[in-house]
Amino acid sequence: MSGTTATVGTRVRRRRSRRREEGFDRPRFLKLYSTLVYLYLFIPIAVVVLFSFNSVKSLQSFQGFSLQWYDDFLSDPTLRESLFVSLRVALITMIVATVVGTALAIGLVRARTRWSPAANILMLIPLVTPEIVAGISALLIFSQLGIHLSFWTIVIAHITFSISYVTVVVRGRLASMGDEVEQAAMDLGATRFQAVRLVLVPELWPAIVAAGLLVFALSFDDFVLSFFTTGEDSQPLPVRIWSAIRFGVSPTINAIGTLMMVVSLTAIVAAVLVPRFFGRKESGIKVLTGQEGG
Amino acid sequence: MEQATVTGTGSGPGGDGNGEAIRLEEVTKRFGDFTAVDAIDLAIHRGEFFSLLGPSGCGKTTTLRMLAGFEVPSEGRILLEGEPVEDVPPYERNVNMVFQSYALFGHLDVAGNVAFGLKRRKVPKDEIEQRVAEALELVSLGSRAKSRPAELSGGQRQRVALARALVNRPAVLLLDEPLGALDLKLRRQMQVELKQIQREVGITFVYVTHDQEEALSMSDRIAVMSDGRVVQCGPPEDVYEHPTEEFVAGFIGISNMLEGIVEGPGTVRVGNGMKVAAPLPADCDRGDTVQISVRPEKIAVDEDIESGMVAMRGRVISRIYHGVNTQITVDLGDGAHLVALEQQTYTASADDRWEEGMEISLGWHPENCLVLR
Repeated sequence: MSGTTATVGTRVRRRRSRRREEGFDRPRFLKLYSTLVYLYLFIPIAVVVLFSFNSVKSLQSFQGFSLQWYDDFLSDPTLRESLFVSLRVALITMIVATVVGTALAIGLVRARTRWSPAANILMLIPLVTPEIVAGISALLIFSQLGIHLSFWTIVIAHITFSISYVTVVVRGRLASMGDEVEQAAMDLGATRFQAVRLVLVPELWPAIVAAGLLVFALSFDDFVLSFFTTGEDSQPLPVRIWSAIRFGVSPTINAIGTLMMVVSLTAIVAAVLVPRFFGRKESGIKVLTGQEGG
Repeated sequence: MEQATVTGTGSGPGGDGNGEAIRLEEVTKRFGDFTAVDAIDLAIHRGEFFSLLGPSGCGKTTTLRMLAGFEVPSEGRILLEGEPVEDVPPYERNVNMVFQSYALFGHLDVAGNVAFGLKRRKVPKDEIEQRVAEALELVSLGSRAKSRPAELSGGQRQRVALARALVNRPAVLLLDEPLGALDLKLRRQMQVELKQIQREVGITFVYVTHDQEEALSMSDRIAVMSDGRVVQCGPPEDVYEHPTEEFVAGFIGISNMLEGIVEGPGTVRVGNGMKVAAPLPADCDRGDTVQISVRPEKIAVDEDIESGMVAMRGRVISRIYHGVNTQITVDLGDGAHLVALEQQTYTASADDRWEEGMEISLGWHPENCLVLR
């Protein structure tokens, strides 16, 4: 009798120590909990992707594999035009916001005036402004100034919010670099401008590229801001989809959604991977989130 | 022209006849209300290894940055090889700097880093290649020319920073605590190497450090700084053996200070009431309060005390074993403490003679102590 208890005791102890070797005393439900969270996050996406390949016009039952909805999308000239509008808006936004945002980041980190703390905080406001507010105010300003809503009003609105994203990413990187690198360049004969061009920008390049691609992804699938600033013609894809849905939902939506997701994902994956192509042993995620040391 | 003068001065370090590389005249730097550097005068000779030594905040780095051109003096003149340079921007000064953080360019490989300065000066391509190779050879990094800074160890990065500055053959090389980030062993090794390299290239080095041992072992001359002023300037032996101020005596090495009052010619009464013979400076009068400074290694213990020594008794209050020696602190009463060193010798190990609480005698030759006001 006493022998049995002893063996049970050792078995329990052994099991405990094995669990400890796996990690810390991790509660078991953690695995289950994480799985549920991930299912919650990805089931809607998976459904969209799955039904984009459905062979029948149903959003409830999957009958078989087909590419007909992709074909529908690509053969629809208005949808195709909207795709190109979205791509063009995203591209221009990316280029302008990257240049302006980087310049702003350099100014904010390097300028030492009593205004810089305030300027640093003000810069964050576009990030936390509800998009609907930004959209309405953009619309009001354009109409006050008598600017006709067009492709360019969308671009201007997108650039406004994108600059802050670029600045946040680049500023994190810049602050961790310190200013001795530029001083070293000047010490070695570079003028102030050359120090920025030959050393600072190349040093920041991974962060700049990552920020640019991030902004591209954000601009490409933006709806709210685009909705308020789009005129009669050149509607970006999300706005076009929204107006199409009013006349009934077609499974083409799933195909478009899947394609848009692919474009955005590509940009984000590139943003993560690009820094590695510069021969540095740091992950792009760290560049994006700004958690890196000197 | 600048290259000729630098390569031409082949003579050893500290050559007084070579003229001045740098002269500071009444140089002051203020940041708002704070005076970082307070009217300092310095002359640094060509080919000299000159150290600015002091605790953090003493103005040594600000002085170096004024030499580099990153700070403009509020007052005073800076002459580089006889030419005033206060208003010359960093990129037009014939000086180069080794930064504390190394500040290497991560997007360039080692050779690219070293070539940076030469490219800015439009040196012909084949000459750049040759000089970069020579500079990397000088710091024993010839094989790492294609590496990125991120792939190098701390010591190697430090050498790249050194090569990147030296390759330009500056009139003066400025070093801002360049060994601060290295571990102790590597730091010792780099101290020797830096000194060797300096002898080899014959360039004037201005070296900023807070490490007194580093300054003593490498420099031809040291300027000890405190609160924005140069407190004492001279060869390491002078600064160590003959500190002119209490601050210098206290900052460099372990120093024993005994407060006392001048009793008469050559006599001081110290805190515990004992009268002590000491070499008084000429301007000391009866009744003046002075500090007597004795280096621990000049103190003899018990049977080592010789005739003619000043001797006092006290109680051992602590013993710190350092390996090569043991540091014992002796309480002389009335708050007066002295630190003595017990050396390892071929007959005795340094930890078997005295215990805490024991009464011992300490003694020193009067000529080995210094009286500071």
